[in-house]
Amino acid sequence: MRNITVVGTGYVGLVTGTCFADLGNQVVCLDIDATKIETLSSGGLPIYEPGLEEMVRRNVKASRLSFTTSYDEGIRNAEFVFIAVGTPEGVDGEADLRYVRMAAESVAKIMDHPLIIVNKSTVPVGTGDWVADIVNKHRTTDIEFAVVSNPEFLREGSAISDFLNPDRVVLGSLDQEAAEKVAQLYLSLRAPIVVTDLRTAEMIKYASNAFLANRVSFINEIANICEALGADVKEVAVGMGYDKRIGHHFLDAGVGYGGSCFPKDVKALAHMAAIHGRHPQLLRSIMEINRHQRRLVIQKLRTLLGGLQDRTIGLLGLSFKPNTDDIRESPAVEIAHLLMNEGAFVKCYDPVAMGVAARALPEMKLAEDPYALAEGCDAVVIVTDWNEFKHLDMARLKKLMRRPIIVDGRNIYEPETMKALGFTYRGMGRGYAG
Amino acid sequence: MASITVIGVGYVGLVTGACLADLGNNVVCLNRDKGKSEALKKGILPIFEPGLEEIVRRNNAAGRLQFTTSYDEAMKDARFIFIAVGTPTGSEGEADLAYVNTAAEETAKRIHHPVIIINKSTVPIGTGDWVSDTVCENMPDPDIEFSVVSNPEFLREGSGVHDFMEPDRIVLGSTNRQAAEQVAELYYPLQAETIITDLRTAEMIKYASNAFLATKISFINEISSVCEALGADVKEVAYGMGTDKRIGPSFLGAGVGWGGSCFPKDVKALIHMALLYGVRPQILRAVTEVNYDQRKRIIQKLRDILGGFRAKTVGLLGLAFKPNTDDMRDAPSIGLIHMLQHEGAQVKAYDPQAIENAKRMVKNVTFCQDPYKVAVEADALILVTEWNEFKQLDMARIKASMRNPVLMDGRNIYEPYRMKELGFIYRGVGRGYDEVSLEPS
Repeated sequence: MRNITVVGTGYVGLVTGTCFADLGNQVVCLDIDATKIETLSSGGLPIYEPGLEEMVRRNVKASRLSFTTSYDEGIRNAEFVFIAVGTPEGVDGEADLRYVRMAAESVAKIMDHPLIIVNKSTVPVGTGDWVADIVNKHRTTDIEFAVVSNPEFLREGSAISDFLNPDRVVLGSLDQEAAEKVAQLYLSLRAPIVVTDLRTAEMIKYASNAFLANRVSFINEIANICEALGADVKEVAVGMGYDKRIGHHFLDAGVGYGGSCFPKDVKALAHMAAIHGRHPQLLRSIMEINRHQRRLVIQKLRTLLGGLQDRTIGLLGLSFKPNTDDIRESPAVEIAHLLMNEGAFVKCYDPVAMGVAARALPEMKLAEDPYALAEGCDAVVIVTDWNEFKHLDMARLKKLMRRPIIVDGRNIYEPETMKALGFTYRGMGRGYAG
Repeated sequence: MASITVIGVGYVGLVTGACLADLGNNVVCLNRDKGKSEALKKGILPIFEPGLEEIVRRNNAAGRLQFTTSYDEAMKDARFIFIAVGTPTGSEGEADLAYVNTAAEETAKRIHHPVIIINKSTVPIGTGDWVSDTVCENMPDPDIEFSVVSNPEFLREGSGVHDFMEPDRIVLGSTNRQAAEQVAELYYPLQAETIITDLRTAEMIKYASNAFLATKISFINEISSVCEALGADVKEVAYGMGTDKRIGPSFLGAGVGWGGSCFPKDVKALIHMALLYGVRPQILRAVTEVNYDQRKRIIQKLRDILGGFRAKTVGLLGLAFKPNTDDMRDAPSIGLIHMLQHEGAQVKAYDPQAIENAKRMVKNVTFCQDPYKVAVEADALILVTEWNEFKQLDMARIKASMRNPVLMDGRNIYEPYRMKELGFIYRGVGRGYDEVSLEPS
């Protein structure tokens, strides 16, 4: 049992705090946002994540997990302080570190016993050193502390399982002893633990996410070549994936990546490279292709419909991937904007992201279900590969549409079946005539 | 037991033929070069590949593996005809299909019973259809059945036999599913995952797989450059990334980049195909550019340390494009040697296998008999190929014989702090370090 404080109750902070509590530690989750803490204290969750609510309740009930807005209260007994605040994207693609700075300063001013400060937030390479400087400058007495980088590798939608069954735990510090103490917290997970220096740990996070984004953009580039040459990218990906050196993950061609991590992290890494005089050409190509994929959908629709003015387009799916309500940097949002820009009416349906979308895209019409969405549409676009879209009654859907056009942005349907049903079907990178 | 003919006794043809014979089939390997065929009959191989010679001899002795220069003889009983001829890069980056064309035509003229023609060579998407057309046009009797199957090879030089016998997967593409299944039966004893798809998709799988592996290397090389700028260690970054199951540890070694006969050719050909059909291949281009920049970055780093190359001697450890091969095609060492010589340096070099091939590709290089001789009076050493024998050298002895103890580790095989302890001015690829130079420039 350890005393742990987690600063920040966003997605990462909440999952980290709750899981550490579930492993038997005494955890305080701290956030300066009083409304958030109030919601949490009354059993509500500010985010949607499968399984988290139940786990929060259980650990609150067992008194291992509590919430506060007060640094005094949060730091009083803490041995470990995890910083898990947001690092939004700044104007030039850099990570905005103001919340990290505020957290570091607040902790430094209050700390009256030795602490290990652990950075969970995705921060630019060199931030660990910078946090150490801030704490040094603001601490009131000569109390010992160490800074450890411990990047998170949680995926929205499967975060709890990702926390409890990680591929690896990465720890970076100049203070080997401190890193080992943090390693103890993870020991019960029986995962490989990589201990390295601060900057390398920080880089591992960026490089890993950028590489996964690279996989997505790579297969999208191949998809575009497949389309031109008459091959099927879905089978190409299967054939590639069996190569043990390649693997099957993140080789799904489509409208590209989105969300709160990949776009931000690739951009931040490219920014870091560029401001240090490097020329990150591969990273730039990754971003460029991702942008292109969204435009490809517009282009396909425009060609099929002979222009988009006054056409009604239905979007199936809004969240950037299934099993989340997150629409940050979601392809759907950009596609909707581009369509409206060309004069189309846009309708949409998503199993969980409608509420969020209603606020972000007030001009968009929301449908109650996929069939209501299809009604009167000139074309339907699959943007998110939610499971519930995979076995729709396509014959019924077709009857409801004004024109039977489907652009499958996630390749979830079989081209042959769709053609047999009478649809004009376009996947992403699946060779077809015309 | 099937009757198989393999056209082409290059690397792919020979491994394929010998291994298929070893699985109990009757195999005839056909090629037009009399000298090569005669040598092969005596068990002398035109290429170096661990374990292959023994398999060739054994199957030759058992009468399952024959060599011939005659199409008539080779086609007489053949049921399966593997085309495994070379597809060099043409002047525009396209794959040159002259040899495939000849093989298809000569085969077609001799089709007197149903055959399955299998393409092993890496060929542009659409070649299967084109071979099919060529065969149709040249067959004496258009009523005899034949089909074309694409079956791309995934053999790595240095472990070709193992890769054939224990493949990650078998890819078969054909418009004729039955033909693909008959070819699948040939591979059945290997118990491997088998993917049957259409011709074009099978052809694309080969290009996309190689291009992806090249991308992995260029990705980590781009990261290595950022690591240098920011003070992180790319070797540990790669380790941390590689433990992610979705990434995996292979092909994440930062260094002087890829070379050889496959990656450069295949990436180039894929770019060419994309452009010809109106697709702008940005990642593939970035991947290529990053790769060739790596070679130049070594020269730049070394120039900074030495303060120029005039009257300097630089030694290369390793010449082959990777260990366990004598293959010098598009090896990074060639470019490095040219650049060094262009800037006035004397170049010495050692490689356990590739010196003979290297002699044909570079001039004015002093080839040495061992790594220690390369080090004598050298101003800098560049580790170019990560042969195992370079990993445990007596580095103190190396350093003592050098004029200047500069070590450029182009494959990150040494520990930076150990080399510094020994007194080397050490530079890896993508491993944070302090700036030092010998002479102020």
